[in-house]
Amino acid sequence: MEYKLDRNTHSLLDPRTKLLLLFTSSVFVVGSAGEQRMRVFYWILVFIPVFLLFMEKEWKAGGAAVTIYVGSYFAQIALQHELTALESVLALMLYIITKIIPTVILARYIVRTTKVSEFLTAMHKMKVPDKITIPVSVIFRFFPTVIEESRAIGDAMRMKGIEMGAKKATEAVEYRMVPLIASCSIIGEELSAAAMSRGLDVGKKRTCIWNIKMGFFDWVIIVLCLVCFIWWGIGGLFI
Amino acid sequence: MICFNNVSFRYARGEESLKNINLTINKGDVVLVCGSSGCGKSTLVRCVNGLIPHFYEGELTGSITVGEMNVSQTTLRKISGYVGTVFQNPRSQFFNVDTTSELAFGCENFGLDPHEIEQRINRTVNRLDLTALMDRSIFKLSGGEKQKIACASIAVEPVDVIILDEPSANLDFKGICELQKMIEAWKEDGKTILIAEHRISYLFPFINRALLMKNGEIKKEYSVEEIKALTEKELHELGLRAESMENPSETRIKGIMDMSDTDKMVLFNMKYAYRGESAVFDIPKMEIPVGEIIGIVGTNGIGKSTFLRCLCGMERRCKAKLKVRDEEWNNRKRRQKIYMVMQDVNHQLFTDSVLEEVLISQDSEDREEALDILKLLDLTEYADRHPLALSGGQKQRVAVASAIASGREIILFDEPTSGLDYYHMLQVSELLKALKEKGKTVIIVTHDVELIKNACTCVIHFGNK
Repeated sequence: MEYKLDRNTHSLLDPRTKLLLLFTSSVFVVGSAGEQRMRVFYWILVFIPVFLLFMEKEWKAGGAAVTIYVGSYFAQIALQHELTALESVLALMLYIITKIIPTVILARYIVRTTKVSEFLTAMHKMKVPDKITIPVSVIFRFFPTVIEESRAIGDAMRMKGIEMGAKKATEAVEYRMVPLIASCSIIGEELSAAAMSRGLDVGKKRTCIWNIKMGFFDWVIIVLCLVCFIWWGIGGLFI
Repeated sequence: MICFNNVSFRYARGEESLKNINLTINKGDVVLVCGSSGCGKSTLVRCVNGLIPHFYEGELTGSITVGEMNVSQTTLRKISGYVGTVFQNPRSQFFNVDTTSELAFGCENFGLDPHEIEQRINRTVNRLDLTALMDRSIFKLSGGEKQKIACASIAVEPVDVIILDEPSANLDFKGICELQKMIEAWKEDGKTILIAEHRISYLFPFINRALLMKNGEIKKEYSVEEIKALTEKELHELGLRAESMENPSETRIKGIMDMSDTDKMVLFNMKYAYRGESAVFDIPKMEIPVGEIIGIVGTNGIGKSTFLRCLCGMERRCKAKLKVRDEEWNNRKRRQKIYMVMQDVNHQLFTDSVLEEVLISQDSEDREEALDILKLLDLTEYADRHPLALSGGQKQRVAVASAIASGREIILFDEPTSGLDYYHMLQVSELLKALKEKGKTVIIVTHDVELIKNACTCVIHFGNK
């Protein structure tokens, strides 16, 4: 069968929209700016990452996220009476989890679905200088690498019998970090040699084979984010 | 085309690694640069792609011209439009996460028109039959597939010179056959190709000349006929690998042992499948002779490495049992009784000195014994050095020292000789024999025919039914 490249394949959202969403979500979900007044927007922002997971057909992860949200929501309601020490620790943990998980899911979604090349081009369109963009773009590549390396090191440690609750448990963290840092820095150096030998350079014009355009969903998200900030701003005027 | 005029180079920290190189390579030549590890062949090719002096710093004298460009006065970006490189390590040469973008990466950097890049990609993919590898995550590819993508992404670029730096290091027999096809296609297109390698026989159909390097100098130049005529012994004396293109699955070792008398351990119910996929292997019963060096061979992707991981009890979802001397070992027990030396030894060196590394591998620390083990492996003088600061071969010896120190009776090796030249391969093979002397059962997964012939006393073939 003849292969034909489809330059229009892209994920649901444009890289720029993804970053705007991440920023908005950090402000209103993690930072809980606006508190009660932003309640509706808060819940919308919490469920957008789940919606994105479902769009990527990650049914299990999406289902798990919904279960956690709903469960912790009810748990928080149940914990609104006088709290014992244990209960307040639990409540605090739940609070932190519900604040952070949506944004973590979103960040993971962005790393998974954004092509490095798309990202470079989108940043270029926004006039972000290469000196910032190129190092940041390596993150997409580095996350999976670190996970792969760390898994291999973990296996090696288990084989030597260094694990939680066994010998040398206290040194285990150090033992894990040293080879991880060493091997990531070797990979980092080889990676930059390879990238430079293929013409990646700061401040030079580059093209992108992927057609990136704002679509319907992009505008929906952008409008939503703007409304969040405007509503928040208006609220500020009246207080 | 490529011209070295009295070139010497010394890395910023380290000794001189190129001495007085004079060399001219014509357009369309396919040149092999061979020699044992550390002979300077990688340094030589780095001078052509501009990584020396632009990336690896050091002291460069003499002049190198590639095409019309003087390498030290031209930017890397400009050179990269003319010279493409396939590196040794498939793990660290991709900037993108998906394969299709990786193919486009070079051309995008040169600022080529996207339509033209699209056509170039379509042409390359169809010509090299890579459809199945497109739109995949780099992290889900096997080593051989990664190397194919690395080659293809250079093939997409409009370069005239192609450099391959030990491209076969991580490839099995089938992978090498694919690599040959790639080189053949480039040769047809009239590209100038420079290959640094110590496995050489697979290149004989393509090369015009071969340069032998030693201690940073070009020791000798051979024509194809001359290098083909070298005997196995002569090649080994030069530190080169002598294996002919041979499929490890068809390798026969000398002397057929009568296995009926040897003690055996029996492996039951060895079965493993990745989540949601069909079984990688399903072995109801398998006998493994005790106290031998057993080589496991089979094509890439057949599950040899997974087999080792299951055997040493690292895969929780594998429910195999190993019966040794009337004792049944489950996963947990096997993790305590079997030691595995991994392919990338960097992953299993944790501490800050070689001695410490051996000490933590022992069940209870015993300094005397640890020092004895270091002596056995010629590591005494490095006892206080940081393991990660040693050379590759020394690191591997430290890993073996830990394996001995663990006192376990079964020791597994995953591809212990990938990328090693003849001397180092022999060294590994001696280590394996030393383990056998100590009464250990050694099981190796490998596609290195020479290692099998040198060390293994027994071979197990993995294949589909």
